[in-house]
This record gives sequence, C-alpha cells and structure tokens, in this order.
Amino acid sequence: MQGEVEVNPQQLTIEKVQDILRQEQYVCDRSLATVVYLSLTMGKPLLLEGEAGVGKTEIAKVLSKVLQAKLIRLQCYEGLDANTSLYEWNYPKQMLRIKLEEVEHGDKEAVETEIFTEEYLIKRPLLEAIQTDGAHPPVLLIDEIDRADMEFEAFLLEVLSDFQITIPEIGTISAKHRPYVFLTSNRTREIHDALKRRCLYHWIEYPSFEKEYEIITTKFPEVEANMARQICAFMQRVRQMNFYKRPGVAETLDWASALIALNRKGLDDKTVVETMGCVFKYREDLHHLREQVEGKQFNLEALLKSPEMAS
Amino acid sequence: MELTKEAVASAVKSHSAVRGQGTLPNLLSFARALKALEVKVSLSQVLDTSRSVDLVDIADRADFRAVLRANLITQKEDFPVFDMLFDQFWREQSYERAEMDSLDIEGTPTESSAQEGGDEEGLEEAISEMLPEEDVPLDNLDEFTVPTYSPQELLNRKDFSEMGIEESRAIARAILLIATKIATQISRRKKLGRKGNVVDPRWTMRRNMKYGGEIIELVNRKRRIKKTRVVLLCDVSGSMDCYSRFLIQFMYGLQNELWGVETFVFSTSLSRITHLIRTKDIVNALEKISGSILGWSGGTNIGRSLHTFNRNFAPSVVTHRTVVVIISDGWDRGDVSLLEREMQDLKRRCKKIIWLNPLLASDNYEPLCKGMQAALPYLDLFLSVHNVNSLIALGRTLQKMVA
Repeated sequence: MQGEVEVNPQQLTIEKVQDILRQEQYVCDRSLATVVYLSLTMGKPLLLEGEAGVGKTEIAKVLSKVLQAKLIRLQCYEGLDANTSLYEWNYPKQMLRIKLEEVEHGDKEAVETEIFTEEYLIKRPLLEAIQTDGAHPPVLLIDEIDRADMEFEAFLLEVLSDFQITIPEIGTISAKHRPYVFLTSNRTREIHDALKRRCLYHWIEYPSFEKEYEIITTKFPEVEANMARQICAFMQRVRQMNFYKRPGVAETLDWASALIALNRKGLDDKTVVETMGCVFKYREDLHHLREQVEGKQFNLEALLKSPEMAS
Repeated sequence: MELTKEAVASAVKSHSAVRGQGTLPNLLSFARALKALEVKVSLSQVLDTSRSVDLVDIADRADFRAVLRANLITQKEDFPVFDMLFDQFWREQSYERAEMDSLDIEGTPTESSAQEGGDEEGLEEAISEMLPEEDVPLDNLDEFTVPTYSPQELLNRKDFSEMGIEESRAIARAILLIATKIATQISRRKKLGRKGNVVDPRWTMRRNMKYGGEIIELVNRKRRIKKTRVVLLCDVSGSMDCYSRFLIQFMYGLQNELWGVETFVFSTSLSRITHLIRTKDIVNALEKISGSILGWSGGTNIGRSLHTFNRNFAPSVVTHRTVVVIISDGWDRGDVSLLEREMQDLKRRCKKIIWLNPLLASDNYEPLCKGMQAALPYLDLFLSVHNVNSLIALGRTLQKMVA
C-alpha cells in the first residue's frame, strides 16, 4: 500500500501531510499536521509533549514509513551518556590490533593513528542518524527525553542545531542529510530552555469524541459504528473523572480490538466490567470504576444508549 | 489599539528599510508583547517563525495561529497567554495595511533581541491596552485554583516587603548550608569500584598503563548514586502566619541551591510557585508570589489541596525517588477522610513523606487535631521546624535520606 507514491518533503502541504498520515492510519488534527509540515520543510526538530498514550512516539514511526526513511530510535533513560548515545571507541578491537602489531613488530606511529579511525568507532544512534547514507534522510526519534539526565541535553544541542558531532580524535562529522528529528517528553521534568528554543513545540491533547471515533474506525474498519461511538463516549467520560491513571488512545485501541476479538457488537454493563482490564491498569482504578457504576454516580446505561449526547 | 502619532511616525521611519514586507516587524512586536507577558522568546525563534510563516497560507487564521504557537511557545502553560494575546494582537483589521503599520514599534530586530527590559513605553502601553483590565494570568494559576472552601478565605495581598529580609540572614545561611550539603551529596555521580558488575574499558586501559598496556587489573563501574528529587508543599494559611517569613526563605533557599526542587503553596487551594521563585532576585520573587497567590493567610483545606496536587501535579512531579516535604501545622478545616485518602495516594507514589510542624517544638504538643492525626500513619518523618537549630537537624536528616 505504502511506498507507491514518492513523498518529497519539499513539495508538501499541510493537507498532504494529513493525507499521508491518514493513509498509514494515523489520524491527526490540523494543528498537529501544520507543525509536522513545518518541521519537515524547515528541518527543525519537533518536541512533542502530552499525556501518556496519545500517539507521540507513533507519529515518528508512521512518518518514517511514509517517507521511506530509516527510523533511528534513541530511547532515553536515566544515566544515558555520550558513550551510549553518540559514539564509543571499540576498545577490544583496538587492543587486539595493538597486540597484533606487537607480535609483528609493526610501525608504532601508524598504529597509533589507525586505531583512532572510523573503523574502530562504534556508532550509537545520534552518530548513526548523522552519518546515514542513502536517498532519504533518516527519521531520528529521541523518545522520552525527560527520562535522561539534564547533562544529556547538552550533547543534543550540537547535534540538533548544527547536525554535527565533534569527535576529538577524528574531527567534526557533519550530516550528509539532515535527519528529521522528533523528541517526545512526558514532562516528568522541565526540558532546558536552550534545547526547547531549537525545537518546534506541540502539545498533543486527548482526542475529541469525533477524532477518537475516527481513530477507531480507521484502525478497525470492521467495527460496529454504534459500538465505536459507545467506546468513545465512555473514554471521554472516564477521562473527566478522577482516576490514578487516565487512559489514553492506546488503551482505547486495545479495548476496541479486545471487543472485536470477543465478537461484541455493542457494549453493556456486563461487557464493560468484564473487559475493563484493557482500560485501567490499577486495582484502585478498577475498584473505583465499579463503585461508581454500582453507586449510579456514573450512569453507564444512559451513556451507552445515546453516546453522541454524552460527548 | 491606541498609539501616539509620534510613535507611529517614528515606527514608520525606523522601519522604512523593512517596509513592504511587514511580517517580520509585526512578528517582532508580537514576540515582544509575549516577552512583556513573561513568556520566554528568543530572537532565533522569531526568525524561524518568519521563515515558517512563508510556508503556510497566513490567510487561514487557524494555521497561522498554529505556526506561531509551535515556534514561539515552548510549554503548555503558556498557551492561554498566547491565545489571548494572539486574539487581541492579530485582530481582523490588523491584516489591513494601515493597522499593521501602527503595530510596528520602533526598534530594530537586533534591539529587540536584548534580553531584559528595553521595551519602549509606547509598546507597553499598547500591550496593557490590548489586554483586559484585570491582572494578566502569567501562568497556569487560574487554571489550577479550585473553588474556595473556607468562609475565612482571604484574597488579601500580603506585603512581603515588610518582612525585612536583612534580619533573616541567619536563617538564610542555615538553609544555604543544608542545601549545599545535599547538593554535593547528590552530585557525586559515577563511582569506579572493584565490586561493580560492568567492566569500564576506558578506565581499565588507563589503570593498566603502568603495566605497559598488559591488562592486569580490571576496573568496574558501580551504579550511579540516584538523584533524589524534593517536592515542597507549604501551608500558607492564617494559622501559619508567624512562620511564613521563615517558610519563604526556606522554599526559596532550597529551590535555588538544589536541582529538581518543585515548590507549591496551599491554603484552601494549591498553587505551583516553582517558576516564581526560580530567580536570584528574592525581593522581586516575593512580590510576585504575594501578588499571585490566592488565599494567603486564609483558612486551610489540606485534603483538597493534596487532592489537587495528586491529580494535577503528582503524575509528572512525583516519582518513586521523590521526597515530599509538607510544612504545615495540621490545622485542617476540611474533610478529614479526604485528607487521609490523599495521603495514602501520595504515599504510594513517592519515596518518603516528611512532615515539618512548627508546633512540634513546644513541650506539651501532641498531634491532637484531626488533620494531623489522619496524616500521621503515612509519614516517614515528623519533625519540628521553628528555629535555626531545628533547621540544621533537618538538614542532617535530609542528607542521610538523599545519600
């Protein structure tokens, strides 16, 4: 399906971005499409923030698909450092080489320069993103940047503003193609201003009723229209309630696919309670929901009867 | 949009070089207006904005808004300010030539990039007129304040300038001492050791140079010391009044010395003030806080404040590595069962809860008030803060905990 039409980032429009994303079953509203369009055309990194499970990571994956670009993903974690994100020297290989030369009484100076060449370099995601050959620039996804230490952001500055990496022993390596960079954050801490300034910014909201309906029907064309509406109405409602962890779109899709697998055509009290494990992942939340339904504070019946009204 | 004729004239004059391509100057003055509303905007962002504006059809207002927002705003909290200014600034007629000119303010692009002040009076007047009479919400405060509870909730603005910052020097010093101790403790990050389970090749090579490159000793890497974060929840209700000077000092000092401290104040409602005291200029910070906190010296509803915290902030601020410090006397006029539930919830999220109670110092104090009793089972530490000595003791405790 994909790959038939060559997508040239220089000839995009906002509508086209929305279209190609939809082809890959990613439904996005116009403001997100605008930001993505800008990011692609200007070559500026895009920082995406939002609650968990609203599709921040997904958009980078989908884009790499439609652009036929390689996806290079850097999952951030605490303690992530230059050695694991930029490059590292291949020490065992270097040592081996030194030993060999010792045995063969090789040229000492030649060895010294040779073991610090690209052949002995282990490329980590950021260097890889910059050095990628091929017709299409890669998509670089720096996922959950807020999990990495503050210090790590400093490494990113050079990469994201100049698209180059400086290795003392070799020199500066510049990008052949500017990668398309996407950063995501769950906001467990503030990102430094210096980094934010280099990025476009977008906050992805929980989807509206209509958008969520579209997402479900796009992902699962076989779903019953009425059930899809019921699911959306339910999700919209529970997101306004007080739960420890509010469910995102990912949970909606899990639930929808579970219901389809169970061959359900519509929702009722019983089904909801049975399958709630797809939506809530904490015992307290499940308990809370059951209490609300039983205590009639949460009128499930009315909600399921006329989902459009409830939204 | 009233600007003096002179201002317009001089704007036209000084902008003659860029006239006919009005977008950039307009964007610059828009960015300046944002800056005046305390949104951080840099010149490079403005330049990128003008680049991106060329890429879309700016006649489509929604797109135009999205483009400006993506470029100029870097955090969700600034969205409301942006939207408000956007609506006022780019009014329908502002697309017309004449009005556009009147928006241009003197000052070249380079000038406007200057970080502080520098804004001409004309612009500031223009902005203040563009905006409604009431205080401009500088951040998310109005978004997060909840309806008031206590009949005694006061909306007064407490004047901190009366506090006399000089006299609290001793406290400031003590705080500095504590904070730096904690800070140095956590900054020892990576340690090399014999026992770790990962071999560190770089250090192994370096250590073995003395054997002529023969690998004899292996150097292992130990796991890093984890960083602990601190969240301060500070009671500023009426009953805490006599301690508030000290509290402010404490919050301010701790946050400015430590990395990753989040600060909140509560009485009947809860406000995040981290961004207000993230500055080295304490006098200014105090003014800002007193100007923006609802219900200072009012009644107390700890339960609901904690509820707001747990719902809106805890998911992003509190991790299993966070130490939550609550400073309050525990006099609560709210629902005790709510308080207990929320304490339980908070306890589950964080590493430790420390409760600092200024009343604890008096010999015959017993935590009899209902609020305090409800909270007690969930506390890891229940300490006193009333003078410099107790602060030093607190410092030692925190240090042990963080290490």
